[in-house]
Amino acid sequence: MIKVTATSALAIICATMAAAEVKVGFIGSLSSDTGLSTLRGAEIAIEELNAAGGMNGEQIVMVTADTSEDPTEGVKAYEYLAETEEVDFIISGSIDDVSLAWMPRMQEFQIPTLDTWTSYIGIIDMVVEDPETMAPYFMNIASDEALATLYINFGADVLKGQMGWESTVILAEDTAFGEAITGLITDALGPVAGIKTTEIIKYDVNTVDFAPLFSRAQETGADFIYQVSTVNSQVVSSQYVKLQVPMPMTGVNVGALGLEYWEDTGGAGGGISTLSPVPSVGFELDPVSQSFVDTYQAKYTSRPVMPHFNGFNAYHGLKQAMAAAETAGGFGDVKAWSAEMKKQDLVLEKDGKLWLRYGFWGDDEVEEVTGRTYPHNARFDLTSPYEDAQPSMVVVQWKEDGSVGVVYPFEYATTEFTIPSWVK
Amino acid sequence: MNIRWYHFALWAAFMAVMFALPEFVSRGTLRTVIFANFLAIFAISWDVLSGRTGYISFGHPFLIGIGAYTTAILTKRFDVAIEASIPIAVIVTMIAGFIVFLPALRIKGSYFALVTLAFMELMYQLVQVIRPDLTGGTRGISGIQGITRGAVNGYYLSLTLLLVVAVTVWLVMRTRVGTALSAIGMNEESVRGSGLDTTKLKLFAFLFSALIAGLGGAFYAHYVGAIAPRALFDINFLFTIIVAALIGGAATTAGPIIGAFFLTFLLEYLRPYLPGAERYFIYGGVALLLYMYQPKGIIALLETMKDRIIRRSST
Repeated sequence: MIKVTATSALAIICATMAAAEVKVGFIGSLSSDTGLSTLRGAEIAIEELNAAGGMNGEQIVMVTADTSEDPTEGVKAYEYLAETEEVDFIISGSIDDVSLAWMPRMQEFQIPTLDTWTSYIGIIDMVVEDPETMAPYFMNIASDEALATLYINFGADVLKGQMGWESTVILAEDTAFGEAITGLITDALGPVAGIKTTEIIKYDVNTVDFAPLFSRAQETGADFIYQVSTVNSQVVSSQYVKLQVPMPMTGVNVGALGLEYWEDTGGAGGGISTLSPVPSVGFELDPVSQSFVDTYQAKYTSRPVMPHFNGFNAYHGLKQAMAAAETAGGFGDVKAWSAEMKKQDLVLEKDGKLWLRYGFWGDDEVEEVTGRTYPHNARFDLTSPYEDAQPSMVVVQWKEDGSVGVVYPFEYATTEFTIPSWVK
Repeated sequence: MNIRWYHFALWAAFMAVMFALPEFVSRGTLRTVIFANFLAIFAISWDVLSGRTGYISFGHPFLIGIGAYTTAILTKRFDVAIEASIPIAVIVTMIAGFIVFLPALRIKGSYFALVTLAFMELMYQLVQVIRPDLTGGTRGISGIQGITRGAVNGYYLSLTLLLVVAVTVWLVMRTRVGTALSAIGMNEESVRGSGLDTTKLKLFAFLFSALIAGLGGAFYAHYVGAIAPRALFDINFLFTIIVAALIGGAATTAGPIIGAFFLTFLLEYLRPYLPGAERYFIYGGVALLLYMYQPKGIIALLETMKDRIIRRSST
């Protein structure tokens, strides 16, 4: 009898212990630097939270669902997290079209979800149009529209203002992100920065020989190439360097966002500049973010050796999501959690100056430059001297000696924008 | 028609088990079954054309994608009711099936396969650049109106669709038309020599296959809720369909269903143990081994087992 009672008691204790957990689901690619940055950022945040007692006394555990960067696998992964693992909260390191694929599932299951990489403004538009079903969704990276808007300022201040360039040829990959950025740049680069787009050259992401494309770009007579590359980006940039293309090139090169870029290009990456969400490589860090990087580098030895921006977003964002849940009494009441999440506001200072801010725009708050609202989107600042939040993006440049630094905005710059030595 | 009473009994037993399934399995498992049901529909559609007639199509996602995109565009961009958009999507897909049929009048074998692959690639490029305001360009269309909500309802809808498709195909393939289609797969010249119009027969196979692909693609779009060129007009999607049909047993009705369930569940059950890309190696390895061991598919293995059991019980 005593044995039966003890066994029952043990079973109840085990069941209680099993129930007293907060389950976080990671959705993203487990084989890309992007996905791993989010995953590892979340893992470190969870370790620190658990060491401090967990969330409302409950330990936090994480399960993963790989998307392989495939939209259909993204749907299956979200369903797996929602209905098989029954997670409380989902942190995403998904790319744009994968997030769009699982978005209807998020709307159906109403699980609090934080996107750390996807920056598609169309998703913020969905929040504007349907705040009810999009209540559990937050994006803690500045939207691509905000990235492009500030990039236009770089065009006006540096490309036109300092370098005197007046025309560009766009060399863009054939992807969703490529299309969006190309559209935003062509719409604004001319009228705002006074730089004319002479031609748009699209290429397939599997392209291995860029020589004909560079020749075509030269034939346009434009002053510089604006590249948009997120997939196999090291191929286009290393060929640009090896072929010593006699035109400057800047734009978006996701390969150049990681510290592995120099190694990936075999040292042929000098002169390449790219816009990057914040924090980027070459970006000076505040003490809190530096501490996160130190922990990261002590814990992980495989690539990415330095977390991409979304790793920081995951680290701070997950802690904010848990803090919101603590106040809201858990993740169960989605509206309560959503309301608390909106209030999260982490200001990180460096040398007494606001350096990074992890907060969200108010539902009806209008951003002055773009004149629109960004509900559930990361707070950003498009106006110098960036006293409200960090800029939506920075421009970083890899130098021919393998060093990397921020060249724009000037308040965050650690080096100057230069053209490669072979460009006259 | 070579139909016996026990055929219907087997179908009835299969339906009874499948309709009772939600009582016994979790919602997560039901979600996996839904994907298996849709994959089975696509594999049956491929098998009607390629498994039977021997005209190997590498462009089947072209047809499925047209069905999916047509209904998505009609409902999302033009507020057409689903009741109308799905039949229209099926008709449009059948027209596309006729276009795929045209090369089959002149070429066959690997040349035909490559031409159909070109159809898929062409569509992949076109949906991104032609009227992206309608197709959603490279990002595709998200927020497509759903027909059902929840795992159980989605399961019953996909199951009903699968059963309707499977039973119809099974019945058709037991008619003289079905026999003639299989004969084309064996020796087209002989079929023509026997006085049958192979062009009409092939046209029937292409249109019937397109009908199923369009129907499956349209319902799939409304179930998933989001479609993108990279998800539909993709070589991995194509191979999944073909492997499901081959591994289950081509030129049969049950084979593609068995293959689809086997592959979908294998991949999903590996997820907790191998969350990353490693599970695809296991998936590919198992598929390869099975196919090497029994090229006629799992259904042939099951039949061998059945024969052994009957032989043992009779001795």
